[in-house]
Amino acid sequence: MGVLPVVNTYPLSSYTFGTKEPKMEKDTSVADRLARMKVNYMKEGMRTSVEAILLVQEHNHPHILLLQIGNTFCKLPGGRLKPGENEIEGLKRKLSSKLAANSPSHQPNWQVGECVAVWWRPNFETVMYPYCPPHITKPKECKKLFLVHLSEREYFAVPKNLKLLAVPLFELYDNVQRYGPVISTIPQQLSRFQFNMVNA
Amino acid sequence: MEDGEHNDNGGGSGHNVVDIYPLSRYYFSSKDAIPEKDDSLADRIQRLKASYAAHGLRTCVEGVLLVLGVHLPFLWGLMVELFQHPHVLLLQVKNSFFKLPGGRLRPGESDIEGLKRKLSRKLSLDESCVNDEWQVDECIGIWWRSEFETLPFPYLPPNTHRPKECAKLFLVRLPRNRQFVVPKNLKLLAVPLCQIHDNSKTYGPIISGIPHLLSKFYFNTIHD
Repeated sequence: MGVLPVVNTYPLSSYTFGTKEPKMEKDTSVADRLARMKVNYMKEGMRTSVEAILLVQEHNHPHILLLQIGNTFCKLPGGRLKPGENEIEGLKRKLSSKLAANSPSHQPNWQVGECVAVWWRPNFETVMYPYCPPHITKPKECKKLFLVHLSEREYFAVPKNLKLLAVPLFELYDNVQRYGPVISTIPQQLSRFQFNMVNA
Repeated sequence: MEDGEHNDNGGGSGHNVVDIYPLSRYYFSSKDAIPEKDDSLADRIQRLKASYAAHGLRTCVEGVLLVLGVHLPFLWGLMVELFQHPHVLLLQVKNSFFKLPGGRLRPGESDIEGLKRKLSRKLSLDESCVNDEWQVDECIGIWWRSEFETLPFPYLPPNTHRPKECAKLFLVRLPRNRQFVVPKNLKLLAVPLCQIHDNSKTYGPIISGIPHLLSKFYFNTIHD
């Protein structure tokens, strides 16, 4: 209560980036994605997905690492949990799948921190809310965002079909058009942290 | 409200669970008006600037107090439990402007002491807050202003070396029942999260952003 939680953030230059084989999206359109979600829901019930907020600093301002697909669509690294899978283990699995080299000796040290946001999808539609709407008893998806602390140096291998961007908080804030409601509201959710900007 | 399939938020850690009680458990009465300090926005900006010149960064602390209310957007003949939803307590000034209970810290005062003092001033009969047991929980968000006239941002805007104001929002856990005594010139309202969500036009960026700051908490709704 008296002391704000601290997050160490290192410069982008502190990290090394390589590439690996492409990781194609499972669906080619929003409609396909929602249809597949429905099929999975019938088999396994509500989808739980986990996503990571990875931070670096540039010019003493926090930046979030986003994966860009094609020319515009950005997402956080993460994805769907397997039925019964632990959230933390699942998130590490997804992070390694998207951002780690395939060799077991080059796995980044993923330090999963606290959950900073939870989003609910009431129907098989794109709209999500930061609370379960009052009349919804069977949400279709629950998405949890976790702060993931990075060590000072790491090697990331990014799938060839994706671009890894470091986007400043001031660019994300209120920018629903470009980044969507989940990513554009992360700055508010991070506002209570004290960023220790470590310089190169 | 939730079906049995989903996990509680925050990976199951206990401190992200918040008990909230029905609005009916709380009693509301009034006390003498606390006159607003300023007659106009321009006056307010002048006063804040003078205060900044004397004391430096203006730090404000505000409380997010939650109750369980019934939100009935439609007249459905369904069971009332389906529509229970967390509501935030807001103060309304002059039938227009909304604010959270709170205010400016005195020099040297801690965040928690200051917030308890402000909560008692706005919401209790006894303003000395000696007998008030406000349970102030964690800070859930911080907003910065580089000038008093500009919008607040949830980070220190780049190139702002001397911010003018910092507003810290704290979650306040309410007991199972309580009497709220509110100055006559203010209205205390319980507003559902779904109504303030994204509604910056009516409530401003800070209040309308509260659902985002609360999303990680699991609300343990205690029904009557």
